[in-house]
Amino acid sequence: MKHTYLTGVIAAGVVVLVLGSPVAAHHSFAVFDHTQTFNVTGTVTRFQWTNPHGFLEIDYRAGDETTKHYTIELTSINMLTRAGWTSRSVKFGDVITAMVAPLLSGEPGGLLLELKFADGRKLEAPVPAPGTFKRTPEQELK
Amino acid sequence: MTTPANRVITALVAAALTCATALTAIVEAQTRTAPAAANITAAWERIGPGALSSSQGAATLRVQLPPAASPPPLKAQFLKEWQARQQAAREATSKGQPLGINWVNCLPDGMPGMMAGPFPMEVLQTPGQVTIIQESFTQVRRILLDRPAKSAGDVDPSFYGHSIGRWEGDTLVVETVGIKEQVQYQNVPHSDQMRIKERIHLVQPDVLWDEITVEDPVTLEKPWAFGFAYRRMQDYTLLEYICEDNREYIDEQGRQRMRLQSPSQK
Repeated sequence: MKHTYLTGVIAAGVVVLVLGSPVAAHHSFAVFDHTQTFNVTGTVTRFQWTNPHGFLEIDYRAGDETTKHYTIELTSINMLTRAGWTSRSVKFGDVITAMVAPLLSGEPGGLLLELKFADGRKLEAPVPAPGTFKRTPEQELK
Repeated sequence: MTTPANRVITALVAAALTCATALTAIVEAQTRTAPAAANITAAWERIGPGALSSSQGAATLRVQLPPAASPPPLKAQFLKEWQARQQAAREATSKGQPLGINWVNCLPDGMPGMMAGPFPMEVLQTPGQVTIIQESFTQVRRILLDRPAKSAGDVDPSFYGHSIGRWEGDTLVVETVGIKEQVQYQNVPHSDQMRIKERIHLVQPDVLWDEITVEDPVTLEKPWAFGFAYRRMQDYTLLEYICEDNREYIDEQGRQRMRLQSPSQK
């Protein structure tokens, strides 16, 4: 009997691994590129602790030496809380490097996968099915 | 010798005995009908395939899972439409232009979708009622215990419907009618005749099952059965969930879109 349970559990685990989690958020994450990520380093202009999603707004120095704005979507703050984040995890003026899955629309925004602070601290973003996003950490947003 | 005083005493004793017998009968009746309810008052988190917590839930706990959902046994004309809709949704998603669903507009799942999670839920048992709160969208359903069942025609349609429950031993048996037609679990169409039957019970001290059977004489060939498993969460207090700043919307083509700027910043 025990063996049957275990087999069932393992089989269930395999199904989850193969199919990935179904949509488990306020909206589909299919609007974000799952084939590449960008690192964007900038200064936080707003850390918005709201549902259905949190947001991190940053200004960064683009390749053409101009300051550009980038909008970073987070998951719901409920998921962030369960992952250890608080409304004070990021502050106005913090210099951060965000690893984002960019919007497929090409607009200046993306989904946060990982956050790194200037002192080296890291915060993982609790996105559903994180393994479905291919990370390309060598790419910097210009 | 029978004196008037003796007669009074006899009458009083007889009255007292009658009262005692009646009281005993009431107490016995209450004991008989008192439900052997299981204590399921707790915070619960869905586990198993499809659960947000599946990676750390079922695998760690080695729990029994209810039978997986089969495709809905829809009648031919409804099945064709449903399959076309699912195919369109898959194609749109693969193009990065997912179709909008109720969630995009911050509308809650309703029944039976809210029992699928995705966030923790709280079960509260109070006299005459079991209340289930799903953290996402702060969804609340009330199961009224030991009341007469109602037919769909007797209630106004709503997201959570009208739920009547009773304890059969340690299983909470619930029937729900009156779900709005646009409140659809997995896009499966239903009529106002839909009835959702549930058997909610513990399979292990800290694992709860909700076995669901959906009946609909208009859209379904036969009942559609599926179930969800949940793990008991120790020391978890549900968080609030308010759609305070929704930057998503559904465009004219029915696709999910996102505004970069918060509507509140405009």
